[in-house]
Amino acid sequence: MSTLLEARGLSASYGATPALDGLDAAIGRGELVALLGENGSGKSTFLRVIARIVPAGGGEVLLEGRPLAGFPRRATARRIAYLPQSTELVFPIRSLDLVLQGRAPHSRGFSADSAEDRDRALAAMRACDVEALAERDASALSGGETRRVFLARALAQEAEIWLLDEPTSGLDPRHRLEFLEVIARAHADRKTTVLLVTHEIDLAGEIADRVVLLRAGRALAEGSPRETLTPDRLREAFGVESRIVTDDQGRRRVVPYAPSR
Amino acid sequence: MRAKRVAGGLAAAIALLAIAVVFGLLTGGVHLSPVDLVAGVGPAGETARLVASLRAPRVALSALVGCCLAVAGAALQALLKNPLADPFLLGTSGGAAAGAAFAAVAGLSPLVSPAAAFAGAIGSSVAVAALARRGGRLDLQRLLLAGLIANAFFSAVLLAVFSVASGQTARTMLFWMMGSLADATPGKVLALAPYGAAGFAVLVAFAGRLNLFAVGEENAAALGVDVESSKRIVFLASSLLTGAAVAFAGIIGFVGLLVPHAARAAVGNDQRALLPVSAIAGAALLVAADAVSRSAFAPAELPVGAVTAAIGAPIFAWLLLRNP
Repeated sequence: MSTLLEARGLSASYGATPALDGLDAAIGRGELVALLGENGSGKSTFLRVIARIVPAGGGEVLLEGRPLAGFPRRATARRIAYLPQSTELVFPIRSLDLVLQGRAPHSRGFSADSAEDRDRALAAMRACDVEALAERDASALSGGETRRVFLARALAQEAEIWLLDEPTSGLDPRHRLEFLEVIARAHADRKTTVLLVTHEIDLAGEIADRVVLLRAGRALAEGSPRETLTPDRLREAFGVESRIVTDDQGRRRVVPYAPSR
Repeated sequence: MRAKRVAGGLAAAIALLAIAVVFGLLTGGVHLSPVDLVAGVGPAGETARLVASLRAPRVALSALVGCCLAVAGAALQALLKNPLADPFLLGTSGGAAAGAAFAAVAGLSPLVSPAAAFAGAIGSSVAVAALARRGGRLDLQRLLLAGLIANAFFSAVLLAVFSVASGQTARTMLFWMMGSLADATPGKVLALAPYGAAGFAVLVAFAGRLNLFAVGEENAAALGVDVESSKRIVFLASSLLTGAAVAFAGIIGFVGLLVPHAARAAVGNDQRALLPVSAIAGAALLVAADAVSRSAFAPAELPVGAVTAAIGAPIFAWLLLRNP
């Protein structure tokens, strides 16, 4: 598998607070990689550097072996879709228009509303079960509905790389499963490369091809879920003890518990 | 469906502007009859047309100044994702007034005053942005506070110069501080127009990017917008609009804050529609406000800024209550 994205000695900070501190990681084309780590370990920042929201302070990100910063911004925005953890909408905006923003990097003047753009946007909304909300004001939707509208936007963007920041948080069980199905389908059908930040260890174990464990802005371990999601690794990454159990479907589950004193 | 809404909003704004212009031409120290103005024969008709032709430059200048302020406000609100952004609140108008006042006190030609006001507006924008910057990013809370500081500073500067100035200079200072359209001439209208057109053209070209900014700066960045250069260009264009408006009319508040809100309620927040509708509605508001300032206590004139505040504050409060 060829390497699509690579971080080399990547560092980044918010003011004086370092968030990434010499991160090395490689993501293969078509892989679904889960990023795990405690709060503040740099997972979200890694996504934001790749999305070119936060500049790299040192080191670099390579896309197909070339420095990301060397590409025109619009060119990488056509290839990389970013799903934020949350977005506060201050102004009213029709949900369909929010999804159409996914077409912005493909359009002159960042304004997309050709009939073709609309068709793609509506198809994406159908796939994410939000077509009925198309005419509604997105700033008046529930948190879960907003996330699904944003996922539809990533779909409409037709990017080959998805950066998903805790995509399942705040979703009810049914929409969580549907959400994961949309991600799995894009991954399988379109060979979308997915970087997924999550705190759900079992979710990572179930759907990820590979896991990168982060700690203090560096990669602590990377490998298959079975190699990385072990009690020893999890103790290092999160400071918790855990047991591995097998559920009645034969699936491997990680059950964390507080370290005994 | 949305095209209809935009067309409706545009038509409503144009109708309002037409009504305001007629009102502006007819009212003032002397009230004219529309019949005399359009069809009047003999002395009554001649007088009406003469008075109206004297008022025409003032109406035209009001319209242009209203345009500039409303468009600058709309663009800043989208750029900063903040419905309270406005050239007056962010201190841009104050900087522009201080710049223009200094040029006047220094005895420079009135033709330089737009350039001086523009320089003041840019200077104030840069200072406010520098104050609001934290960790390399523009912090919105701090931005409004920095605007407050800039306003306090510039009004102190204007007051200080006012208190030591005498005669004509003092009157000029008063003009910058209170805002007035009384000195309108066709020449001023022609001088302001290119600044307004240039600023408007730049902002309309950035309407697509501003739509992405209205959801968030990170949103714009993730969708491929060069955020830093776009911010600079939008700040420059709105400073140009503000500077030009202040140079010819002094500080007039509320137009940049109120008009985009009303326009947004009518046509939604797509900047491609909002900027033109704000331009027309801004023109209508200031033409009407100036007509009221001339006629409410004629022959005395109210400062036009007092009228925009009196119209603006209640409507703004109503908008606030309606859209929690």
